[in-house]
Amino acid sequence: MRRSADLLLGLGLLAAALASLLTGSAALSPAEVGTALVGGGTAEARLVVVSLRLPRLALALLVGAGLALAGAALQLLLANPLADPFLLGISGGGAAAATLAVVALPAAMLGLVPLAGVGGAALATGLVWWMARGPLGASSTRLILAGVAVNAAASAVILLVLALASGNRVPGALAVTMGSFAGASASRVGWLLPYTLLPAAVLLHHGRDLGLLGTGEESAAGLGVDVLVVRRQVFLAAAALCGGAVAFAGVIGFVGLVTPHLCRLVWGPAPRRLLVRSALLGAALTAAGDTLARRIVPGAELPVGVVTAVLGVPFFVALLRRSA
Amino acid sequence: MSGLIARGLCGGYGARRVVGPVDLQLPVGRCTAVLGPNGAGKSTLLRLLVGILRPTAGEVEVLGRELLSLRRREAARLVGFVPQAVTVAFPLTVYEMVMQGRAPHLGPWRPAGPADEAAVEAAIRDLGLAAHRHTPVHTMSGGERQLVLLARALAGEPRLLLMDEPATGLDVRHQLALVDTVRGLVARGVGAAVVLHDWNLARRLADTAVVLDRGLVAAEGPPDEVLTTALVARVFGVTVERVAASEGPVLVPQHASVAASSIGAPKAPGGGPACRSDRAATRPPTPPDAVA
Repeated sequence: MRRSADLLLGLGLLAAALASLLTGSAALSPAEVGTALVGGGTAEARLVVVSLRLPRLALALLVGAGLALAGAALQLLLANPLADPFLLGISGGGAAAATLAVVALPAAMLGLVPLAGVGGAALATGLVWWMARGPLGASSTRLILAGVAVNAAASAVILLVLALASGNRVPGALAVTMGSFAGASASRVGWLLPYTLLPAAVLLHHGRDLGLLGTGEESAAGLGVDVLVVRRQVFLAAAALCGGAVAFAGVIGFVGLVTPHLCRLVWGPAPRRLLVRSALLGAALTAAGDTLARRIVPGAELPVGVVTAVLGVPFFVALLRRSA
Repeated sequence: MSGLIARGLCGGYGARRVVGPVDLQLPVGRCTAVLGPNGAGKSTLLRLLVGILRPTAGEVEVLGRELLSLRRREAARLVGFVPQAVTVAFPLTVYEMVMQGRAPHLGPWRPAGPADEAAVEAAIRDLGLAAHRHTPVHTMSGGERQLVLLARALAGEPRLLLMDEPATGLDVRHQLALVDTVRGLVARGVGAAVVLHDWNLARRLADTAVVLDRGLVAAEGPPDEVLTTALVARVFGVTVERVAASEGPVLVPQHASVAASSIGAPKAPGGGPACRSDRAATRPPTPPDAVA
């Protein structure tokens, strides 16, 4: 059952990647795309496929994997199924700091925008935890309320920044607040890689500890988990994943909420298996969502965040109804 | 003596001292009942003894080694802990939850092997959970969950086992089974400490009773000698009658006495013996979430 689910996941990832590569405003046949991928065909086709579509796919895969990983880790760390980087305001905090950086930094220092995103996400994470924590993990009520508070503060900062920004910086700042992979390029993918791979390694290393934390902090500490250390590292890793994702692709909600739950249904609760499958499924779902966002309205491109929200909100409502 | 020794142990949350100074011994092969009214500091004392709450003063020695000098995982291999409750935020089966008890032996990466599976099976069998092996824990009753938590701690094969109110929510049959299980462990050389609210259960279960009152040890000794009507009236604020039963004296509560007004009363400022570092102030206060 798990074996065949793994096979399906692999096929799904492949299908999502192919569909993404075959989607775009330039009319290219599957054969032309394939030829361009292996370095043949017209120069124009190669430009479209290798410089535009491939980076776009890679960015969607990395961001989706990162958000799903962060969601899976936060759900376990906070012992709460409603934890999600978007709902908790972590993505919002990252977006507020990144927007501020886009507007305020001199042009030569715009490479620091992702770092600002990570800083904002880390600050938001710390605030949410401080507001929501309890002896048996974070209660759902407090967690969601803390997320509301942080998201409200983040929106206020973003609106303020946009209102005061000089005209030529506004589009860049807006791109951060609206999830989209339209601005993908090979160099941006390269920049995002460390923000994804390093935190992923940290989270995988703490996989077993995260599983124990899923039963509450006191329980985990009694089983030998160094809670202070693990919590700090997991928070930083989640903040890096979300802050990086926001800086390169804007705010995309619900991938971090939905994906781990789907994986738990299919693959069970084993924490490290859950983290790996969440990353892969999050990548596939996000790439598919981006393809859908480009195809659903002919001639127009929706922000991918709209698609993930349409799929994610009903799921969130169902979870909320069930979790009392 | 080998086992767990606490000397001048003090601790609490933020600036509030809840426990201490307490001197205590939990020898291996003996069972100690920790008794006391609500708010006496029983759970806090247990957290200090397990090492998941950092003391503000004093020390804990486990099998001749300073508890705080051990890495958390190492300490958890020696001292098992059954918390009062756990969150069951995600569906876990009984087997999966009991396997968590092997984590101190596995570290971050080593997969569970035959020895781990054998320890888990033995713990599940000991607590009569064999039929529930694949039952999701979140569908079980509070009492059944207590048994799962106990099994999880047993699977870790600790030398000392500290339990915070394991009898809460158990029906009488399961309470007696708990007594048998703990006595069995103690006979195999485990040192046990059990926080209990039931004096008569403490008599059946423990070799020693420690009565905690407002963070201090009010009495210590064999349960039948410690649990006098006078002590129960003074510490718990309850008038009891000692009735002779076939297997020994039994305490039957009559009514709450006048002294009950002192229950849970905050300690007077500067009241009680001082903790070493309360005077020296060598260590900053530890935040409530401090988990070593």
